[in-house]
Amino acid sequence: MREPITFFRCTIILVLALAGCGRESRFPHQPITLICPWSAGGGTDRVSRQVAAQLEEELGVPVNVINATGGSGVTGHTRGARARPDGHTLAMITVELNMLHWRGLTSVTYRDFAPLQLLNRDSAALLVRADSPFTNLDELQAAIAAGPAKLKASGTAYGGIWHVALAGWLHARGLEPTAATWISINGAGPSLQELNAGGVDFVCCSLPEADAMLAGEQVRSLGVMAEKRVPGFEGVPTFREQGHEWSIAGWRGVAAPRDTPPERLAILAEAMQKVGQSGELATFMRNAGFNLSLAGPEEFAATLERQDEIFRVILTGPAFQSISGEHFGPMIFPAIIAGLLLLTLGSVAWQSRGQQAQRPREKTDLRPAIAVLAAALFYIVAAEWLGFVSCAALLVAGLLVVFRVRLVLALPLAALVTVAVYQVFAIGLRVPLPRGLLDW
Amino acid sequence: MNEALAQAMQQVFLDPAVWGIVFLAACYGVFLGAMPGLTATMGVALFVPMTYWLEPVPALAAIVTMVACAIFAGDIPTTLVRIPGTPASAAYADDAYALARRGEAGRAMGTSLWFSVAGGLLGGLLLMLLGYQLARMAAWFSVTEYFWLYLMGLSCAVVVGRSGIARSLAGLTIGLLLSTVGLSAVHGQARFTFGHPELFQGINFIPAMIGLFGLSEVLRNTLQLDAAPMAASTTSGQGSILAPAVSLFRQRPLAWFRSSIVGSGIGILPGAGADMAAWVCVAISKRFSKSPETYGQGSTECIADACAGNSSSLAGAWIPALVFGIPGDSVTAIVIGVLYMKNLKPGPEIFAQQGTLVYSIYLIFLLANLVLLPVGWLAIKAGREVLRIPRRVLLPVILLFCIVGAFAVNGSSFDVGLMVAFGLLGVICERAQISIGALVLGLILGGPLEERFVQTLAGGQGSLIAFVNRPLAALLAGVCLVLWGSVAINTLRRHFATRNADSV
Repeated sequence: MREPITFFRCTIILVLALAGCGRESRFPHQPITLICPWSAGGGTDRVSRQVAAQLEEELGVPVNVINATGGSGVTGHTRGARARPDGHTLAMITVELNMLHWRGLTSVTYRDFAPLQLLNRDSAALLVRADSPFTNLDELQAAIAAGPAKLKASGTAYGGIWHVALAGWLHARGLEPTAATWISINGAGPSLQELNAGGVDFVCCSLPEADAMLAGEQVRSLGVMAEKRVPGFEGVPTFREQGHEWSIAGWRGVAAPRDTPPERLAILAEAMQKVGQSGELATFMRNAGFNLSLAGPEEFAATLERQDEIFRVILTGPAFQSISGEHFGPMIFPAIIAGLLLLTLGSVAWQSRGQQAQRPREKTDLRPAIAVLAAALFYIVAAEWLGFVSCAALLVAGLLVVFRVRLVLALPLAALVTVAVYQVFAIGLRVPLPRGLLDW
Repeated sequence: MNEALAQAMQQVFLDPAVWGIVFLAACYGVFLGAMPGLTATMGVALFVPMTYWLEPVPALAAIVTMVACAIFAGDIPTTLVRIPGTPASAAYADDAYALARRGEAGRAMGTSLWFSVAGGLLGGLLLMLLGYQLARMAAWFSVTEYFWLYLMGLSCAVVVGRSGIARSLAGLTIGLLLSTVGLSAVHGQARFTFGHPELFQGINFIPAMIGLFGLSEVLRNTLQLDAAPMAASTTSGQGSILAPAVSLFRQRPLAWFRSSIVGSGIGILPGAGADMAAWVCVAISKRFSKSPETYGQGSTECIADACAGNSSSLAGAWIPALVFGIPGDSVTAIVIGVLYMKNLKPGPEIFAQQGTLVYSIYLIFLLANLVLLPVGWLAIKAGREVLRIPRRVLLPVILLFCIVGAFAVNGSSFDVGLMVAFGLLGVICERAQISIGALVLGLILGGPLEERFVQTLAGGQGSLIAFVNRPLAALLAGVCLVLWGSVAINTLRRHFATRNADSV
């Protein structure tokens, strides 16, 4: 019986090595999670990962980015606002925070966050295909006014920042926001692809997002909704230069849940300020095509409040309410699919009539299967409190015992597997496995 | 030979740093692919901060290699424990796992390795030669064409189903219906969320896939705890890794070619990736196979064609990213970011100005696939040992991996619960012989399909003519109709054939 003993030794050494990383009382003493409400690879994700890498150097603990995506940003912002306010969870917040609650999609507002640092602001711009007949805003406006709902536009999903930007401009020019048909396409990239393929007549998005196609002269910009020309895109005139008083921008920044202790907020804000003012971030933002725009906690909070008021006016005004009423409602597709499902299930039932009786009723011991489900449920309920390590070890050991594996093998195996998984996922791959109330 | 290509060859093949980094990235990529819940996207995102210190070519070499190796490695857990490591493996999970249960895991994984490499090589080569021209064709695709394309991909899942069209269609529609849970991307309105903020994000297909395939298999295995480990049925390593692939190449030399070309074509279109390539290739393969009845029950033909297809599609996603700055998938979205960091701007002139770089990327695809051979072979050798572990020891560990895998995607405990729920759904579907693979595809493509559907309707002011009034859209619609027509005719013919046989 040599094997179990070596197993046992390895386990003890590993467990001791892990336990050796003692707890400290100073903040921060455990890895920090930065919640990014948009998917991996997008602009917000890139900014998040850059900030995380630099914040890690400032604070001396790992900073992990997780992408809590979906729901037009509802998921990520909600998780950021509801996270345990101990300073170990931060959120990347974006312009949608000022918009979602006015559309009734979430109850989370900017008041649920303690803002730390504003990072960038990018203005909306209008783009047309290179061979488009329009050369300036007045011509486009005239065409929109001439044939209501004839021209098609895109840039983001319904109610997204670029949609609001366009609707706001039309409203400011005395046109109905519905005068141009908005095709809801998720993201600027696919919208530009659609512009290229001739599916829409113009696109509203930020200039950096269209950089490659602007450089390739496949698209042209008619103007940017900013107070002054955007660095790197000096050839694009502003709306104001063309006599159209209208500006709007998307932004990104870092915040913590509102109830985070003030002394921890101070530490985080100071670190974020250093990150913001570093040359490294400036270079990153310039190369990535984002317009660096910094503001500390107080100024950021004031900006949020001001922006929220602007979006309230646009989103709750009668102008935008009228386009919220969708022609092709959200239930059309599920209804078609549900009809199809009923049909197919009916036909399956028709085919298998009479076969039921032929199947021999086997007697099986369901207890192990129930044990597996119970173990999984135990993990779901207990992981947040007990932490991953203790919870996973209990789960594996418990199941092994139920499956009648000898204790002398089951216990070390459970410990070994748990520690190995923890090392690989939490430390190697930076998955923020639950740490529990005991912080282990 | 043109100068840029010569220079690129020098940069890729003569630089020991590139070789070193490709080897390390291959090991990392195989690991990522083999772990359920970990995706190449996640691995690449974690790697991004390191690219700051690297030259552009080694940085891109690492990313290309990770992606190319992860797609093969996804087949290892698929074969061994029936948890698809990547969504692209779901198309042939039944075949690979059926082989493993017959004690031929080595044969399944060997076929997958050789054809992944072969598909990857051909895909890389094809795009190096034709990439720019193909990119211009991809620019013709508007939302309407994508609608038909997604519909075609979904139809393929129905065609390959082995338990009849009704049961495949049932799986597909369940998947499509579940994909509508959450905040509708196109309307910005919540559906079927019952007020739970977690449901706003919708049902993530990775935890769903782990539950449907992995957990349901664990549950099924608990009913036969005392059965011998799967490998015990054969004494010598579960089939040769090399031999079956060689004979497949010899028997069907053109199939590999066909799958790689189809895969590359699908890969070039932004928004249609490796998972769709695998399904379409399986459907075409089954249509032309001499033994279509073995599909789904351990057919190496099926595995070979799907692997060649999904592997060759990877290189395609880079083309729209480089030419238009439009990412073909989530990995190339990150790549665009890396290019900007290196002050290399994507755009049509990248072929003229950065020809060396573009050629380097495709040469790295070739190199990565060559390095994958030994690394993948070792991974198969190591992986097979899993099958020697007794079930009562293996099952609790697999359960832990299911949990961690489901959690890792979004760092959300809710996803773990979702995984368990889908495990139960998997057991039910299995009992009713409803196709789980089709369900997963429906879940993946449901969102994009609905978006294109509503966008086309909105663009045409509600008129159904909008679906066919562009020439390319009409062509694709025609292909769909022919596909459905042939399926319907086949089914009816079989139906009458059995009825006549009954009445005799």
